[in-house]
Amino acid sequence: MSARRRLAPRVKTRPCAVPSLGSLLATVRTHHPDSDLSLLEQAHDEAALWHAGQTRRNGDPFLTHCVAVAAIVADLGMPPAVVCAALLHDIEDTSCPPGRVAERFGQETADLISTVRTTRLNEIPPSALNLGNARPRPLQPTREEAVLAIRLADRLHNMRTITFVAPARQHRVARETLELAAPLAEAAGLDEVGRELHDISSAVLRPTVSAWAVTPRLLTVLTLLLPAPQRARWQEEWHAELATLPTRRARTRFTARILLSTPRLTLTLRHPIRQERW
Amino acid sequence: MGSPRMTLQTQLVLRALLEDPAKQRYGLELCELAGLPSGTIYPILARLEQVGWVDSTWEDPAVHKEAGRPRRRFYQITKDGAEGARDALARVYRARKQPLPGWVARPVSDGGAS
Repeated sequence: MSARRRLAPRVKTRPCAVPSLGSLLATVRTHHPDSDLSLLEQAHDEAALWHAGQTRRNGDPFLTHCVAVAAIVADLGMPPAVVCAALLHDIEDTSCPPGRVAERFGQETADLISTVRTTRLNEIPPSALNLGNARPRPLQPTREEAVLAIRLADRLHNMRTITFVAPARQHRVARETLELAAPLAEAAGLDEVGRELHDISSAVLRPTVSAWAVTPRLLTVLTLLLPAPQRARWQEEWHAELATLPTRRARTRFTARILLSTPRLTLTLRHPIRQERW
Repeated sequence: MGSPRMTLQTQLVLRALLEDPAKQRYGLELCELAGLPSGTIYPILARLEQVGWVDSTWEDPAVHKEAGRPRRRFYQITKDGAEGARDALARVYRARKQPLPGWVARPVSDGGAS
């Protein structure tokens, strides 16, 4: 039960877990009605070809990630070329020969994909970008903006499916998201993306109250028995120990034992200089 | 400051701390090392800290932030503590070698004294 965590409130743009190519094309069409979408179909087939057989940690075919990222990018109003790069953003991890993407989708797309792969989140200057609603549509983003959009979409989809990742890694990714990705999204005017990144990461770093409510509260109450100046220290120490215990059962046991030993600790702390006998 | 009462649990905690005197350990780690249930150990550590045998510090922020968990309290045996503890443990050991009161049946020890 403890592993099941309530994630961020769902945002209206994610009614179904895995967007299809059809809904992706429809989204692009609403933002760019006159554009040629055959490129996107090709990119989808290309991604399907090279990611065939790969699965994500939740067991879904890897292609779902490509489409989901592309759908988020399309939702931001990005033009088809950028959505195309989003579909292919992980293709360099596959056995796809280098140069093939440039050949089929143009050098610009290939360059964009490699820039997305090589750019680190902390290297993107936040102030230069503005992708918010104030920007006139249809959107013609700069290279930096396109890179940022794909990186953020990638991170957002990874965060949405982070439950399937090992806990230590979850923490690391969530922390980085909270410190780098979410502020970057907000600075670029992508409030909704920023908020969702923020909410999911916070939920990962601070597990829900429900699974944790009883034991920490009891621990806090127990510290009231201790001499006032020492309460904060023991409370913090016990809570830190509690936080590292993996199961609810272990936490309950820990708390029960603290409960049993608190009177003794209180005595010890209240009579500091009494010479004890042997 | 005197020395703590050498109960069996205190001895176990001291042994755990003396295993690697230079190492800082947190409460649950010591519980495991000493083979004691959590809870028992905190009053003992508090007492040892009072008599100056043990020092405790908060974990370095860089480490626990990296690991993504709240900061731990670390305990380490002091120089005085290491000396005192070795001494006290030796004394307990010697005391145990001495014969128990006559009304306790006791097997003859291999030391030979009867």
